[in-house]
Amino acid sequence: MRDKLLFGRCIDTGSPIHRLDPRAKITGMILYLIAIIAVGSWPMLLVTVVFSIVYMLATRIPLKYFVKAAKPLWVLMVFIFVVQSLTVESGEVVLQIGGWALYAGGLKSGFIAAARMALLVSFTAILTFTTTPGLLNQGLDGVLKPLQKIGIKTQRLTLMMSIALRFIPTILDETHKILKAQAARGADIKELPWKEKGKLLLSLLVPVTVSAFRRAEELVLSMESRGYIVGAPRSEYHLLTWQTKDTWFVLSYVLLVAVVLTYRFI
Amino acid sequence: MKDTVLAYELQQVSFAYHPQQQILDNINLRITAGSWVTLVGANGSGKSTLAKLLGGLLAANAGKIYVEGTEMNQESITHLRPRIGMVFQNPDNQFIGATVEEDIAFGLEGRCLPRDEMVERVKRYADKLEIGHLLSKHPAELSGGQKQRVAVAATLAMEPGIVIFDEASSMLDEKARGELQLIMREMSESGGYTIISITHDAEEILASDRAIVLKDGGVAADVSPLELFRNQELLSSCRLIAPFRVRLIQELSSRGIELDPGQDIEEVSEQLCRYISSK
Ligand SMILES: Nc1ncnc2c1ncn2[C@@H]1O[C@H](COP(=O)(O)OP(=O)(O)OP(=O)(O)O)[C@@H](O)[C@H]1O
Ligand SMILES: [Mg+2]
Repeated sequence: MRDKLLFGRCIDTGSPIHRLDPRAKITGMILYLIAIIAVGSWPMLLVTVVFSIVYMLATRIPLKYFVKAAKPLWVLMVFIFVVQSLTVESGEVVLQIGGWALYAGGLKSGFIAAARMALLVSFTAILTFTTTPGLLNQGLDGVLKPLQKIGIKTQRLTLMMSIALRFIPTILDETHKILKAQAARGADIKELPWKEKGKLLLSLLVPVTVSAFRRAEELVLSMESRGYIVGAPRSEYHLLTWQTKDTWFVLSYVLLVAVVLTYRFI
Repeated sequence: MKDTVLAYELQQVSFAYHPQQQILDNINLRITAGSWVTLVGANGSGKSTLAKLLGGLLAANAGKIYVEGTEMNQESITHLRPRIGMVFQNPDNQFIGATVEEDIAFGLEGRCLPRDEMVERVKRYADKLEIGHLLSKHPAELSGGQKQRVAVAATLAMEPGIVIFDEASSMLDEKARGELQLIMREMSESGGYTIISITHDAEEILASDRAIVLKDGGVAADVSPLELFRNQELLSSCRLIAPFRVRLIQELSSRGIELDPGQDIEEVSEQLCRYISSK
Protein backbone atom coordinates (compact mmCIF):
# COMPACT_ATOMS: atom_id res chain seq x y z
CA MET A 1 0.00 0.00 0.00
CA ARG A 2 2.75 2.40 0.97
CA ASP A 3 4.59 1.76 -2.29
CA LYS A 4 1.69 3.10 -4.27
CA LEU A 5 2.10 6.39 -2.52
CA LEU A 6 5.07 6.87 -4.84
CA PHE A 7 2.48 7.86 -7.39
CA GLY A 8 2.67 11.54 -8.09
CA ARG A 9 5.53 12.12 -5.70
CA CYS A 10 8.54 14.14 -6.62
CA ILE A 11 11.82 12.66 -5.41
CA ASP A 12 14.25 15.52 -5.16
CA THR A 13 17.84 14.60 -5.96
CA GLY A 14 18.72 17.87 -7.66
CA SER A 15 19.83 16.11 -10.86
CA PRO A 16 20.08 17.93 -14.20
CA ILE A 17 16.83 16.22 -15.25
CA HIS A 18 15.05 17.80 -12.29
CA ARG A 19 16.09 21.23 -13.48
CA LEU A 20 14.79 20.88 -17.03
CA ASP A 21 11.81 22.87 -18.18
CA PRO A 22 8.66 20.81 -17.48
CA ARG A 23 7.43 21.56 -21.00
CA ALA A 24 10.55 19.90 -22.39
CA LYS A 25 9.94 16.85 -20.21
CA ILE A 26 6.30 16.55 -21.24
CA THR A 27 7.17 16.93 -24.92
CA GLY A 28 9.90 14.33 -24.46
CA MET A 29 7.42 11.91 -22.92
CA ILE A 30 5.01 12.32 -25.82
CA LEU A 31 7.81 11.57 -28.26
CA TYR A 32 8.85 8.60 -26.13
CA LEU A 33 5.31 7.29 -26.36
CA ILE A 34 5.51 7.45 -30.17
CA ALA A 35 8.86 5.66 -30.15
CA ILE A 36 7.59 2.94 -27.82
CA ILE A 37 4.57 2.28 -30.02
CA ALA A 38 6.86 1.92 -33.06
CA VAL A 39 9.32 -0.50 -31.42
CA GLY A 40 8.84 -3.96 -32.92
CA SER A 41 12.21 -5.67 -33.10
CA TRP A 42 15.01 -6.79 -30.80
CA PRO A 43 17.58 -4.19 -31.89
CA MET A 44 15.14 -1.33 -31.41
CA LEU A 45 14.01 -2.69 -28.06
CA LEU A 46 17.66 -2.72 -27.03
CA VAL A 47 18.14 0.85 -28.23
CA THR A 48 15.09 2.01 -26.30
CA VAL A 49 16.15 0.15 -23.15
CA VAL A 50 19.61 1.70 -23.26
CA PHE A 51 18.13 5.14 -23.92
CA SER A 52 15.70 4.76 -21.01
CA ILE A 53 18.31 3.49 -18.57
CA VAL A 54 20.69 6.31 -19.41
CA TYR A 55 18.00 8.87 -18.56
CA MET A 56 16.86 6.98 -15.46
CA LEU A 57 20.43 6.95 -14.19
CA ALA A 58 20.76 10.65 -14.99
CA THR A 59 17.92 11.40 -12.55
CA ARG A 60 20.08 9.94 -9.73
CA ILE A 61 16.97 8.24 -8.43
CA PRO A 62 17.62 4.56 -7.54
CA LEU A 63 16.38 2.31 -10.36
CA LYS A 64 14.30 0.32 -7.90
CA TYR A 65 11.85 3.23 -7.70
CA PHE A 66 11.20 2.93 -11.43
CA VAL A 67 10.68 -0.80 -11.08
CA LYS A 68 8.27 -0.12 -8.23
CA ALA A 69 6.33 2.33 -10.38
CA ALA A 70 5.64 -0.41 -12.94
CA LYS A 71 4.93 -3.08 -10.35
CA PRO A 72 1.19 -2.47 -9.87
CA LEU A 73 0.73 -3.29 -13.57
CA TRP A 74 2.52 -6.65 -13.67
CA VAL A 75 -0.74 -8.58 -14.01
CA LEU A 76 -1.57 -6.56 -17.10
CA MET A 77 1.90 -7.21 -18.52
CA VAL A 78 1.58 -10.96 -18.00
CA PHE A 79 -1.84 -10.77 -19.64
CA ILE A 80 -0.48 -8.91 -22.66
CA PHE A 81 2.38 -11.40 -22.93
CA VAL A 82 0.07 -14.41 -22.82
CA VAL A 83 -2.46 -13.00 -25.30
CA GLN A 84 0.20 -11.92 -27.78
CA SER A 85 2.09 -15.23 -27.53
CA LEU A 86 -1.04 -17.22 -28.18
CA THR A 87 -2.46 -15.18 -31.01
CA VAL A 88 0.55 -14.39 -33.19
CA GLU A 89 1.29 -17.31 -35.49
CA SER A 90 4.62 -16.81 -37.18
CA GLY A 91 8.06 -18.40 -37.13
CA GLU A 92 8.86 -21.87 -35.89
CA VAL A 93 6.62 -23.92 -33.70
CA VAL A 94 8.18 -24.03 -30.25
CA LEU A 95 5.64 -26.13 -28.46
CA GLN A 96 2.68 -28.16 -29.61
CA ILE A 97 -0.07 -29.49 -27.36
CA GLY A 98 -2.85 -31.17 -29.29
CA GLY A 99 -4.31 -28.59 -31.64
CA TRP A 100 -2.49 -25.71 -29.88
CA ALA A 101 0.80 -24.43 -31.12
CA LEU A 102 3.11 -21.85 -29.63
CA TYR A 103 5.19 -20.01 -32.22
CA ALA A 104 8.57 -18.33 -31.76
CA GLY A 105 7.19 -15.19 -33.38
CA GLY A 106 4.35 -15.15 -30.86
CA LEU A 107 6.74 -15.40 -27.95
CA LYS A 108 8.85 -12.62 -29.38
CA SER A 109 6.00 -10.21 -29.95
CA GLY A 110 4.53 -11.12 -26.56
CA PHE A 111 7.80 -10.36 -24.85
CA ILE A 112 8.33 -7.11 -26.75
CA ALA A 113 4.76 -5.97 -26.01
CA ALA A 114 5.16 -6.62 -22.29
CA ALA A 115 8.57 -4.98 -22.24
CA ARG A 116 7.21 -1.91 -24.01
CA MET A 117 4.49 -1.60 -21.40
CA ALA A 118 7.01 -1.94 -18.56
CA LEU A 119 9.31 0.62 -20.17
CA LEU A 120 6.53 3.07 -20.79
CA VAL A 121 5.19 2.95 -17.24
CA SER A 122 8.54 3.07 -15.50
CA PHE A 123 10.01 5.65 -17.84
CA THR A 124 7.14 8.09 -17.68
CA ALA A 125 7.56 7.95 -13.90
CA ILE A 126 10.60 10.15 -14.59
CA LEU A 127 8.16 12.96 -15.22
CA THR A 128 6.46 12.77 -11.82
CA PHE A 129 9.62 11.79 -9.97
CA THR A 130 11.60 14.79 -11.20
CA THR A 131 8.92 17.49 -11.44
CA THR A 132 6.94 18.98 -8.58
CA PRO A 133 3.19 18.82 -9.23
CA GLY A 134 3.01 22.59 -9.48
CA LEU A 135 5.63 22.74 -12.21
CA LEU A 136 4.08 19.74 -13.92
CA ASN A 137 0.82 21.57 -13.96
CA GLN A 138 2.37 24.66 -15.38
CA GLY A 139 4.25 22.66 -17.98
CA LEU A 140 1.06 20.94 -19.02
CA ASP A 141 -0.58 24.33 -19.23
CA GLY A 142 2.17 25.48 -21.55
CA VAL A 143 2.04 22.39 -23.74
CA LEU A 144 -1.76 22.52 -24.00
CA LYS A 145 -1.94 26.25 -24.61
CA PRO A 146 -2.15 25.89 -28.42
CA LEU A 147 -5.44 24.03 -27.85
CA GLN A 148 -6.98 27.23 -26.47
CA LYS A 149 -6.99 28.55 -30.03
CA ILE A 150 -9.55 25.92 -30.98
CA GLY A 151 -11.71 26.75 -28.01
CA ILE A 152 -10.69 24.11 -25.47
CA LYS A 153 -10.65 25.36 -21.88
CA THR A 154 -7.21 24.09 -20.98
CA GLN A 155 -7.15 25.93 -17.64
CA ARG A 156 -9.93 23.74 -16.29
CA LEU A 157 -8.18 20.65 -17.54
CA THR A 158 -4.91 21.46 -15.88
CA LEU A 159 -6.62 22.52 -12.67
CA MET A 160 -8.44 19.20 -12.56
CA MET A 161 -5.18 17.36 -13.16
CA SER A 162 -3.35 19.22 -10.46
CA ILE A 163 -6.10 18.68 -7.89
CA ALA A 164 -6.19 14.99 -8.74
CA LEU A 165 -2.43 14.79 -8.31
CA ARG A 166 -2.66 16.72 -5.08
CA PHE A 167 -5.37 14.51 -3.57
CA ILE A 168 -4.58 11.02 -4.76
CA PRO A 169 -1.83 10.54 -2.16
CA THR A 170 -4.09 11.96 0.57
CA ILE A 171 -6.95 9.66 -0.36
CA LEU A 172 -4.69 6.60 -0.62
CA ASP A 173 -3.27 7.49 2.75
CA GLU A 174 -6.77 7.69 4.16
CA THR A 175 -7.71 4.33 2.64
CA HIS A 176 -4.60 2.91 4.25
CA LYS A 177 -5.66 4.28 7.63
CA ILE A 178 -9.15 2.81 7.33
CA LEU A 179 -7.66 -0.54 6.33
CA LYS A 180 -5.40 -0.39 9.36
CA ALA A 181 -8.36 0.42 11.58
CA GLN A 182 -10.16 -2.63 10.13
CA ALA A 183 -7.07 -4.72 10.83
CA ALA A 184 -7.11 -3.52 14.41
CA ARG A 185 -10.66 -4.84 14.62
CA GLY A 186 -9.43 -8.24 13.53
CA ALA A 187 -9.95 -8.07 9.79
CA ASP A 188 -6.44 -8.33 8.41
CA ILE A 189 -6.89 -7.97 4.67
CA LYS A 190 -3.83 -10.06 3.86
CA GLU A 191 -5.18 -13.13 5.59
CA LEU A 192 -8.76 -12.93 4.35
CA PRO A 193 -10.04 -15.22 1.60
CA TRP A 194 -10.60 -13.53 -1.77
CA LYS A 195 -14.32 -13.17 -1.37
CA GLU A 196 -13.97 -11.47 2.01
CA LYS A 197 -11.22 -9.29 0.64
CA GLY A 198 -13.62 -8.09 -2.04
CA LYS A 199 -16.31 -7.40 0.52
CA LEU A 200 -13.93 -5.43 2.71
CA LEU A 201 -12.71 -3.33 -0.21
CA LEU A 202 -16.29 -2.67 -1.26
CA SER A 203 -17.11 -1.54 2.26
CA LEU A 204 -14.20 0.91 2.00
CA LEU A 205 -15.59 2.40 -1.17
CA VAL A 206 -18.42 4.25 0.57
CA PRO A 207 -16.47 6.02 3.33
CA VAL A 208 -13.60 6.86 0.99
CA THR A 209 -15.94 8.28 -1.67
CA VAL A 210 -17.90 10.27 0.87
CA SER A 211 -14.75 11.71 2.32
CA ALA A 212 -13.39 12.52 -1.14
CA PHE A 213 -16.54 14.49 -1.89
CA ARG A 214 -16.32 16.32 1.40
CA ARG A 215 -12.70 17.16 0.71
CA ALA A 216 -13.60 18.44 -2.74
CA GLU A 217 -16.35 20.60 -1.29
CA GLU A 218 -14.07 22.12 1.32
CA LEU A 219 -11.31 22.63 -1.22
CA VAL A 220 -13.70 24.54 -3.46
CA LEU A 221 -14.73 26.77 -0.54
CA SER A 222 -11.15 27.43 0.27
CA MET A 223 -10.24 28.24 -3.32
CA GLU A 224 -13.22 30.51 -3.63
CA SER A 225 -12.34 32.34 -0.45
CA ARG A 226 -8.89 32.92 -1.88
CA GLY A 227 -10.50 34.61 -4.84
CA TYR A 228 -10.29 31.84 -7.41
CA ILE A 229 -12.48 32.38 -10.44
CA VAL A 230 -12.46 29.76 -13.20
CA GLY A 231 -11.02 31.14 -16.39
CA ALA A 232 -10.00 34.48 -14.86
CA PRO A 233 -6.52 35.69 -15.75
CA ARG A 234 -3.79 34.72 -13.30
CA SER A 235 -0.14 35.52 -12.95
CA GLU A 236 2.33 32.69 -12.41
CA TYR A 237 4.47 32.07 -9.38
CA HIS A 238 6.92 29.78 -11.14
CA LEU A 239 8.67 31.30 -14.09
CA LEU A 240 9.37 28.81 -16.85
CA THR A 241 12.46 29.56 -18.89
CA TRP A 242 13.31 27.47 -21.91
CA GLN A 243 17.05 26.96 -22.21
CA THR A 244 19.36 25.39 -24.75
CA LYS A 245 19.61 22.23 -22.65
CA ASP A 246 15.85 21.82 -22.94
CA THR A 247 16.11 21.94 -26.71
CA TRP A 248 18.87 19.29 -26.59
CA PHE A 249 16.75 17.15 -24.32
CA VAL A 250 13.80 17.23 -26.73
CA LEU A 251 16.13 16.66 -29.69
CA SER A 252 17.43 13.45 -28.10
CA TYR A 253 13.88 12.15 -28.15
CA VAL A 254 13.36 13.28 -31.73
CA LEU A 255 16.47 11.25 -32.58
CA LEU A 256 15.10 8.20 -30.78
CA VAL A 257 11.82 8.45 -32.66
CA ALA A 258 13.67 8.94 -35.96
CA VAL A 259 15.88 5.89 -35.38
CA VAL A 260 13.00 3.65 -34.37
CA LEU A 261 10.77 4.77 -37.24
CA THR A 262 13.52 4.49 -39.83
CA TYR A 263 14.35 0.97 -38.71
CA ARG A 264 10.72 0.03 -38.81
CA PHE A 265 9.78 1.37 -42.21
CA ILE A 266 12.96 1.04 -44.20
CA MET B 1 -20.94 54.27 18.54
CA LYS B 2 -21.43 56.56 15.56
CA ASP B 3 -17.71 57.13 15.03
CA THR B 4 -16.59 53.54 15.24
CA VAL B 5 -15.97 51.85 11.92
CA LEU B 6 -18.01 48.74 11.34
CA ALA B 7 -16.45 45.69 9.75
CA TYR B 8 -19.87 44.10 9.46
CA GLU B 9 -23.43 45.13 9.77
CA LEU B 10 -26.13 42.50 9.34
CA GLN B 11 -29.73 43.60 8.93
CA GLN B 12 -32.43 40.98 9.29
CA VAL B 13 -30.37 38.30 7.61
CA SER B 14 -32.05 34.94 7.01
CA PHE B 15 -30.77 31.83 5.34
CA ALA B 16 -32.06 28.34 4.51
CA TYR B 17 -30.46 25.56 2.48
CA HIS B 18 -33.93 24.13 1.95
CA PRO B 19 -37.08 26.29 2.12
CA GLN B 20 -38.66 24.17 4.85
CA GLN B 21 -35.66 24.36 7.18
CA GLN B 22 -34.63 27.86 8.27
CA ILE B 23 -31.01 27.78 9.49
CA LEU B 24 -30.59 31.47 10.28
CA ASP B 25 -33.59 33.61 11.03
CA ASN B 26 -33.57 37.38 11.16
CA ILE B 27 -30.03 37.99 12.40
CA ASN B 28 -29.03 41.53 13.31
CA LEU B 29 -25.41 42.17 14.18
CA ARG B 30 -22.80 44.91 14.23
CA ILE B 31 -19.15 44.02 14.41
CA THR B 32 -16.62 46.78 15.05
CA ALA B 33 -13.52 46.88 12.89
CA GLY B 34 -10.48 45.59 14.75
CA SER B 35 -12.45 43.57 17.26
CA TRP B 36 -12.29 39.83 17.86
CA VAL B 37 -15.65 38.11 17.97
CA THR B 38 -16.22 34.44 18.69
CA LEU B 39 -19.29 32.61 17.44
CA VAL B 40 -20.37 29.79 19.72
CA GLY B 41 -23.29 27.41 19.74
CA ALA B 42 -24.20 23.74 19.68
CA ASN B 43 -23.41 21.52 16.68
CA GLY B 44 -25.70 22.38 13.80
CA SER B 45 -26.67 25.76 15.22
CA GLY B 46 -25.59 27.45 12.00
CA LYS B 47 -22.17 28.85 12.91
CA SER B 48 -20.44 27.66 9.75
CA THR B 49 -23.39 28.81 7.69
CA LEU B 50 -23.12 32.29 9.17
CA ALA B 51 -19.37 32.24 8.54
CA LYS B 52 -19.96 31.40 4.87
CA LEU B 53 -22.48 34.23 4.60
CA LEU B 54 -19.97 36.62 6.15
CA GLY B 55 -17.28 35.36 3.80
CA GLY B 56 -19.51 35.79 0.78
CA LEU B 57 -19.43 32.07 -0.01
CA LEU B 58 -23.21 31.90 0.40
CA ALA B 59 -25.77 34.58 -0.34
CA ALA B 60 -28.47 35.41 2.21
CA ASN B 61 -32.08 34.60 1.29
CA ALA B 62 -33.23 37.80 2.95
CA GLY B 63 -31.70 40.81 4.63
CA LYS B 64 -28.58 42.81 4.02
CA ILE B 65 -24.92 42.31 4.88
CA TYR B 66 -22.66 45.36 4.83
CA VAL B 67 -18.93 44.81 4.75
CA GLU B 68 -17.00 47.91 5.79
CA GLY B 69 -19.99 49.97 4.73
CA THR B 70 -20.53 48.33 1.33
CA GLU B 71 -23.54 46.11 0.77
CA MET B 72 -22.58 42.61 -0.26
CA ASN B 73 -24.13 41.48 -3.53
CA GLN B 74 -23.29 39.85 -6.84
CA GLU B 75 -21.45 42.90 -8.13
CA SER B 76 -19.67 44.05 -5.01
CA ILE B 77 -18.48 40.60 -3.97
CA THR B 78 -15.48 40.60 -6.31
CA HIS B 79 -14.23 43.78 -4.66
CA LEU B 80 -15.13 42.69 -1.16
CA ARG B 81 -13.71 39.19 -1.30
CA PRO B 82 -10.07 40.31 -1.11
CA ARG B 83 -10.95 42.06 2.18
CA ILE B 84 -12.08 38.80 3.78
CA GLY B 85 -9.87 35.80 4.50
CA MET B 86 -11.09 32.42 5.71
CA VAL B 87 -9.34 29.60 7.52
CA PHE B 88 -11.21 26.32 7.77
CA GLN B 89 -11.14 23.32 10.05
CA ASN B 90 -9.39 20.59 8.05
CA PRO B 91 -5.74 21.45 7.40
CA ASP B 92 -5.55 18.99 4.48
CA ASN B 93 -8.58 20.16 2.57
CA GLN B 94 -7.49 23.76 2.28
CA PHE B 95 -4.01 23.00 1.03
CA ILE B 96 -4.46 23.90 -2.63
CA GLY B 97 -0.90 24.15 -3.89
CA ALA B 98 1.50 21.25 -4.22
CA THR B 99 4.04 22.85 -1.93
CA VAL B 100 3.93 25.41 0.87
CA GLU B 101 5.10 28.27 -1.33
CA GLU B 102 2.69 27.39 -4.12
CA ASP B 103 -0.15 27.27 -1.63
CA ILE B 104 0.66 30.69 -0.23
CA ALA B 105 1.02 32.03 -3.78
CA PHE B 106 -2.29 30.58 -4.98
CA GLY B 107 -4.43 33.55 -4.00
CA LEU B 108 -1.78 36.00 -5.15
CA GLU B 109 -1.68 34.45 -8.62
CA GLY B 110 -5.41 35.06 -8.86
CA ARG B 111 -4.74 38.74 -8.13
CA CYS B 112 -2.31 38.84 -11.02
CA LEU B 113 0.47 40.16 -8.79
CA PRO B 114 3.82 40.46 -10.53
CA ARG B 115 6.20 37.64 -9.72
CA ASP B 116 8.67 39.70 -7.68
CA GLU B 117 5.94 40.89 -5.37
CA MET B 118 4.55 37.37 -5.02
CA VAL B 119 7.95 35.99 -4.05
CA GLU B 120 8.42 38.79 -1.55
CA ARG B 121 4.99 38.32 0.02
CA VAL B 122 5.29 34.54 0.18
CA LYS B 123 8.57 34.91 2.02
CA ARG B 124 7.35 37.68 4.32
CA TYR B 125 4.20 35.88 5.45
CA ALA B 126 5.92 32.51 5.68
CA ASP B 127 8.52 34.05 7.97
CA LYS B 128 5.81 35.73 10.00
CA LEU B 129 4.13 32.35 10.56
CA GLU B 130 7.52 30.68 11.19
CA ILE B 131 7.25 28.36 8.22
CA GLY B 132 9.95 30.08 6.17
CA HIS B 133 12.11 26.93 6.28
CA LEU B 134 9.28 24.77 4.89
CA LEU B 135 8.61 26.59 1.64
CA SER B 136 9.36 23.68 -0.69
CA LYS B 137 7.66 21.02 1.45
CA HIS B 138 4.66 19.00 0.35
CA PRO B 139 1.53 18.71 2.53
CA ALA B 140 2.37 15.06 3.25
CA GLU B 141 5.59 16.16 4.91
CA LEU B 142 3.93 18.59 7.30
CA SER B 143 2.16 18.24 10.63
CA GLY B 144 -1.42 19.40 11.06
CA GLY B 145 -0.26 22.46 12.96
CA GLN B 146 2.23 23.36 10.24
CA LYS B 147 -0.41 22.95 7.53
CA GLN B 148 -2.74 25.21 9.47
CA ARG B 149 0.04 27.82 9.67
CA VAL B 150 0.34 27.56 5.90
CA ALA B 151 -3.39 28.20 5.60
CA VAL B 152 -3.08 31.28 7.83
CA ALA B 153 -0.04 32.52 5.90
CA ALA B 154 -1.88 32.02 2.59
CA THR B 155 -4.84 33.98 3.97
CA LEU B 156 -2.79 36.81 5.46
CA ALA B 157 -0.65 37.11 2.32
CA MET B 158 -3.78 38.34 0.55
CA GLU B 159 -3.76 41.17 3.12
CA PRO B 160 -7.39 41.01 4.21
CA GLY B 161 -8.89 43.27 6.85
CA ILE B 162 -11.20 40.57 8.15
CA VAL B 163 -10.21 36.99 8.91
CA ILE B 164 -12.76 34.30 9.70
CA PHE B 165 -11.57 31.14 11.46
CA ASP B 166 -14.08 28.28 11.31
CA GLU B 167 -12.93 25.87 14.02
CA ALA B 168 -9.43 26.30 12.67
CA SER B 169 -7.82 24.88 15.79
CA SER B 170 -10.19 22.01 16.45
CA MET B 171 -8.28 19.30 14.57
CA LEU B 172 -4.94 20.25 16.09
CA ASP B 173 -3.21 18.79 19.10
CA GLU B 174 -2.99 20.74 22.35
CA LYS B 175 0.35 22.37 21.54
CA ALA B 176 -0.46 23.36 17.96
CA ARG B 177 -3.82 24.69 19.11
CA GLY B 178 -2.13 26.93 21.65
CA GLU B 179 0.28 28.16 18.98
CA LEU B 180 -2.52 28.98 16.56
CA GLN B 181 -4.35 30.86 19.30
CA LEU B 182 -1.19 32.81 20.01
CA ILE B 183 -1.07 33.78 16.33
CA MET B 184 -4.69 34.93 16.55
CA ARG B 185 -3.86 36.95 19.67
CA GLU B 186 -0.99 38.65 17.90
CA MET B 187 -3.18 39.39 14.90
CA SER B 188 -5.77 40.92 17.18
CA GLU B 189 -3.22 42.96 19.11
CA SER B 190 -1.69 44.33 15.91
CA GLY B 191 -5.03 46.08 15.40
CA GLY B 192 -4.94 45.39 11.68
CA TYR B 193 -7.52 42.65 11.63
CA THR B 194 -11.14 42.08 12.52
CA ILE B 195 -11.26 38.47 13.68
CA ILE B 196 -14.30 36.26 13.67
CA SER B 197 -13.64 32.84 15.12
CA ILE B 198 -15.93 29.89 15.51
CA THR B 199 -14.78 27.66 18.30
CA HIS B 200 -15.60 25.24 21.07
CA ASP B 201 -12.36 26.10 22.83
CA ALA B 202 -12.68 28.01 26.08
CA GLU B 203 -9.24 29.63 25.80
CA GLU B 204 -10.02 30.96 22.34
CA ILE B 205 -13.29 32.41 23.57
CA LEU B 206 -11.58 34.00 26.57
CA ALA B 207 -8.98 35.64 24.34
CA SER B 208 -11.67 37.32 22.26
CA ASP B 209 -13.52 40.56 22.96
CA ARG B 210 -17.03 39.32 22.52
CA ALA B 211 -18.96 36.08 22.30
CA ILE B 212 -22.07 35.64 20.17
CA VAL B 213 -24.16 32.59 20.99
CA LEU B 214 -26.23 31.12 18.17
CA LYS B 215 -29.26 29.05 18.99
CA ASP B 216 -32.37 28.04 17.07
CA GLY B 217 -31.42 30.21 14.12
CA GLY B 218 -31.00 33.36 16.15
CA VAL B 219 -28.59 35.19 18.42
CA ALA B 220 -29.25 33.80 21.89
CA ALA B 221 -26.70 35.98 23.60
CA ASP B 222 -24.18 38.66 22.73
CA VAL B 223 -21.92 39.03 25.73
CA SER B 224 -18.33 39.38 26.91
CA PRO B 225 -16.47 36.06 27.26
CA LEU B 226 -16.46 36.34 31.06
CA GLU B 227 -20.19 36.90 31.13
CA LEU B 228 -20.65 33.85 28.94
CA PHE B 229 -18.68 31.72 31.38
CA ARG B 230 -20.73 33.07 34.24
CA ASN B 231 -23.99 31.97 32.63
CA GLN B 232 -24.43 28.29 33.39
CA GLU B 233 -27.49 27.95 31.20
CA LEU B 234 -25.79 29.40 28.11
CA LEU B 235 -22.72 27.29 28.75
CA SER B 236 -24.60 24.05 28.84
CA SER B 237 -26.63 24.97 25.76
CA CYS B 238 -23.41 25.23 23.80
CA ARG B 239 -21.72 22.38 25.67
CA LEU B 240 -18.98 24.56 27.07
CA ILE B 241 -17.23 24.27 30.39
CA ALA B 242 -15.62 27.26 32.06
CA PRO B 243 -11.86 26.77 32.51
CA PHE B 244 -10.67 26.19 36.05
CA ARG B 245 -9.11 29.62 36.51
CA VAL B 246 -12.32 31.30 35.38
CA ARG B 247 -14.35 29.32 37.90
CA LEU B 248 -11.76 30.20 40.52
CA ILE B 249 -11.92 33.95 39.92
CA GLN B 250 -15.71 33.75 39.84
CA GLU B 251 -15.76 32.02 43.21
CA LEU B 252 -13.30 34.58 44.61
CA SER B 253 -15.31 37.42 43.12
CA SER B 254 -18.41 36.27 44.97
CA ARG B 255 -16.28 36.54 48.10
CA GLY B 256 -15.22 40.07 47.27
CA ILE B 257 -11.81 39.36 45.71
CA GLU B 258 -11.64 40.71 42.18
CA LEU B 259 -9.00 39.12 39.90
CA ASP B 260 -8.36 39.17 36.19
CA PRO B 261 -8.50 35.78 34.37
CA GLY B 262 -5.36 36.67 32.39
CA GLN B 263 -4.00 34.19 29.90
CA ASP B 264 -3.25 31.23 32.11
CA ILE B 265 -3.38 29.85 35.61
CA GLU B 266 0.05 31.32 36.38
CA GLU B 267 -1.17 34.87 35.93
CA VAL B 268 -4.09 34.20 38.25
CA SER B 269 -1.91 32.69 40.95
CA GLU B 270 0.50 35.63 40.73
CA GLN B 271 -2.37 38.03 41.28
CA LEU B 272 -3.56 35.88 44.14
CA CYS B 273 -0.10 35.89 45.76
CA ARG B 274 0.11 39.65 45.41
CA TYR B 275 -3.34 39.96 46.96
CA ILE B 276 -2.39 37.75 49.90
CA SER B 277 0.91 39.52 50.57
CA SER B 278 -0.82 42.89 50.42
CA LYS B 279 -3.08 41.81 53.25
N1 LIG C 1 -24.68 22.28 2.32
C1 LIG C 1 -25.73 22.06 3.13
N2 LIG C 1 -26.91 21.65 2.62
C2 LIG C 1 -27.97 21.43 3.41
N3 LIG C 1 -27.97 21.59 4.75
C3 LIG C 1 -26.83 21.98 5.32
C4 LIG C 1 -25.64 22.24 4.55
N4 LIG C 1 -24.66 22.62 5.38
C5 LIG C 1 -25.18 22.59 6.61
N5 LIG C 1 -26.47 22.23 6.61
C6 LIG C 1 -27.37 22.14 7.77
O1 LIG C 1 -27.44 23.40 8.34
C7 LIG C 1 -27.44 23.33 9.75
C8 LIG C 1 -26.35 24.21 10.30
O2 LIG C 1 -25.10 23.73 9.87
P1 LIG C 1 -23.73 24.45 10.20
O3 LIG C 1 -22.67 23.67 9.52
O4 LIG C 1 -23.84 25.89 9.90
O5 LIG C 1 -23.65 24.24 11.78
P2 LIG C 1 -22.45 24.53 12.78
O6 LIG C 1 -22.98 25.37 13.85
O7 LIG C 1 -21.28 25.00 12.04
O8 LIG C 1 -22.16 23.08 13.37
P3 LIG C 1 -20.79 22.41 13.82
O9 LIG C 1 -20.53 22.87 15.21
O10 LIG C 1 -21.08 20.96 13.77
O11 LIG C 1 -19.74 22.83 12.84
C9 LIG C 1 -27.27 21.86 10.09
O12 LIG C 1 -28.54 21.36 10.45
C10 LIG C 1 -26.81 21.24 8.83
O13 LIG C 1 -27.30 19.93 8.72
MG1 LIG D 1 -19.29 24.25 11.63
